[in-house]
Amino acid sequence: MTPTMINQDLFTAAVEGLPPGQLSSHRSDAAKLFSVTGFPTARDEDWKYTRLDGAADLSNDWLASLAQNSTSTEASVMLTYAQLAPTQSINADWIIVHNGIVDAAALGQLKLPTGVNVSLIGEDSEHLALATDSPMSAFNAALLTDGLRVRVANNVAVEKPLGFLMVDDDRSRVTQIRVVLELGDNAALRVVECAFSSGVGPTFTNSVTQLQLAEGSKLDFLRLQNHALDHISTNRFVANIDKDATFTHNNFDFGGDLTRNDIVAIIEGAGASVNLTGLYLASGAQHIDNHTRVEHRVGPAVSHEEYRGILNGRSRCVFNGQAVVFEGADGTDANQANHNLLLSDQAEIDTKPELEIYADDVKCSHGATVGQLDETALFYLRSRGLDTTEARRLLTQAFAANILNLLAIDEAREYVKLQLDERVASLLGDERT
Amino acid sequence: MKTTLEVKNLHAGIGATKILNGLDLVVNAGEVHAIMGPNGSGKSTLAQVIAGHADYEVLDGSVRFNGEDLLELEPEERAREGIFLGFQYPVEIPGVNNAYLLKAAVNAKRRHLGLDEIDAFEFLKLAREKMATLGMDPIFLNRGVNEGFSGGEKKRNEILQMAMLEPRLAILDETDSGLDIDALKTVAAGINELRDPTRAIVLVTHYQRLLDYVEPDFVHVLSAGKIVRSGDKSLALELEKNGYEWVKEAVNA
Repeated sequence: MTPTMINQDLFTAAVEGLPPGQLSSHRSDAAKLFSVTGFPTARDEDWKYTRLDGAADLSNDWLASLAQNSTSTEASVMLTYAQLAPTQSINADWIIVHNGIVDAAALGQLKLPTGVNVSLIGEDSEHLALATDSPMSAFNAALLTDGLRVRVANNVAVEKPLGFLMVDDDRSRVTQIRVVLELGDNAALRVVECAFSSGVGPTFTNSVTQLQLAEGSKLDFLRLQNHALDHISTNRFVANIDKDATFTHNNFDFGGDLTRNDIVAIIEGAGASVNLTGLYLASGAQHIDNHTRVEHRVGPAVSHEEYRGILNGRSRCVFNGQAVVFEGADGTDANQANHNLLLSDQAEIDTKPELEIYADDVKCSHGATVGQLDETALFYLRSRGLDTTEARRLLTQAFAANILNLLAIDEAREYVKLQLDERVASLLGDERT
Repeated sequence: MKTTLEVKNLHAGIGATKILNGLDLVVNAGEVHAIMGPNGSGKSTLAQVIAGHADYEVLDGSVRFNGEDLLELEPEERAREGIFLGFQYPVEIPGVNNAYLLKAAVNAKRRHLGLDEIDAFEFLKLAREKMATLGMDPIFLNRGVNEGFSGGEKKRNEILQMAMLEPRLAILDETDSGLDIDALKTVAAGINELRDPTRAIVLVTHYQRLLDYVEPDFVHVLSAGKIVRSGDKSLALELEKNGYEWVKEAVNA
């Protein structure tokens, strides 16, 4: 057995030992799929730079405890003030998911607008298709006990954002969480998701978010991840986007020991529009890997993507941006950019834009840059009396501001900016020590 | 009269290229000096060395400011001590707010002098006043530093920074370049506004043009990294008429 593989016996015993319910058949289908693939390894091109050894170790321990039925299903620790901060700062309808368990009581008390339905995935699985389109999403589905299903009815534009606060703070626990979001024709929804952990010991979260955007619908999805430095997470977002629908995904990665995001946008209807932005800040020995994929299956349609990274210390980041234009998807307009600020000569970024074009009438562009802080600008600021620390901070914030300015959800701007400024300060501090 | 800046036998260069070759210059408080000279004579190098740009290496000589060894100080310390360099090419810094920089600069200096920081209200009032005299729209405060500014707007922004910082020594590096006549007059008025018995101003310029509006007390001609000729404002007129070749010939003769 190689270390990145999951112990098959433990896995099977764990899946079979989970309490029966609506999810049972989903789990056994997914388990069959996962048993064939196991965790991705370095042999998979897509996982060349990101190793899941640590995640597999934690998973095997967790599977063993599941098989012995010895894990608690109670959220034991109170959430801290810092963890709850977004619920205070951002005016949204917040749903709390603590160690993979939805706070159902609080959810029941939420007064959601007419046409918006939020239910527990384990109690509402009619016509539910759990995506198992990757080994990690199959692993998630095979071991799933809880999650959220959100439906917005046709022509309902929800004014107040929906908030998901995902906190993992139970030592050695592995969390499988799935969110399924279905937007009806011409529906509109904004979602703010904040993912934290408390650093009490190693934790691993494997999340899957499935997004269905029907004709003419609009979804703005903000995700801010600020996990503790002992947290591993793999997060998969898959959006299916129909005719004239608009999907915006604003992704912020500030924390975590190892973070891997797969963001997949599948354009299935003409006139669709996709905006993907991301900002990753890594210092120390952090590892952040963003894989994005935009599939232009039909045209005309537009996709814009900009990811920026700021790296210090011995951190390592990966950006892989795939844009695939299918045969016949004429009128596709796709652009992609990835810019990186490298503040330490020991930090490493592997950036790879990939365009695959099988249609004739398309407009596609991509670009990637890696650079340092502009010395001329630094001198200019210092010549005005600002010390080096402040000058560097200002220029680093300015680099990040390009992404902050693309944030679609205004209610969250102030909170994100505050978090960003704090993270920039701590990241720059890394270098001085 | 109190000596502000005293440059003695300054030798400096960038990389393997030596640019200043034993430059001497004394500037007293209350005086306006113009430093002229052909391209490549070392005018901008002198300005950058005094401001503390790390790319320039001082090989020999000394620079004293109010009696202190200036070369020991970091660029930001020089700024707080009262040195202001108006850049020939002001840097565009998108994402750094112009008002933020101005306020941070003013407060860095005030802290250094042991004064209370200026509050937001006071700052805005002062900035708007100074902008009005420079014919600048207050909207420029909310923009990124020099972001998308025209050549003339950038130079006005430099003068605005100078006016806010009230330096003891202002070195204006080709502040007149790229300005139309109206902008030149406005910028000159901004400089004249700051003429003061306690302040020294050094104008680094290629042309006589600016000196029609800001009358210098002394004019120096720089050639091959040395001052080869000093005089009063009439020297600038002579240069305008006869060109720099005349100076070089006069020196060699």
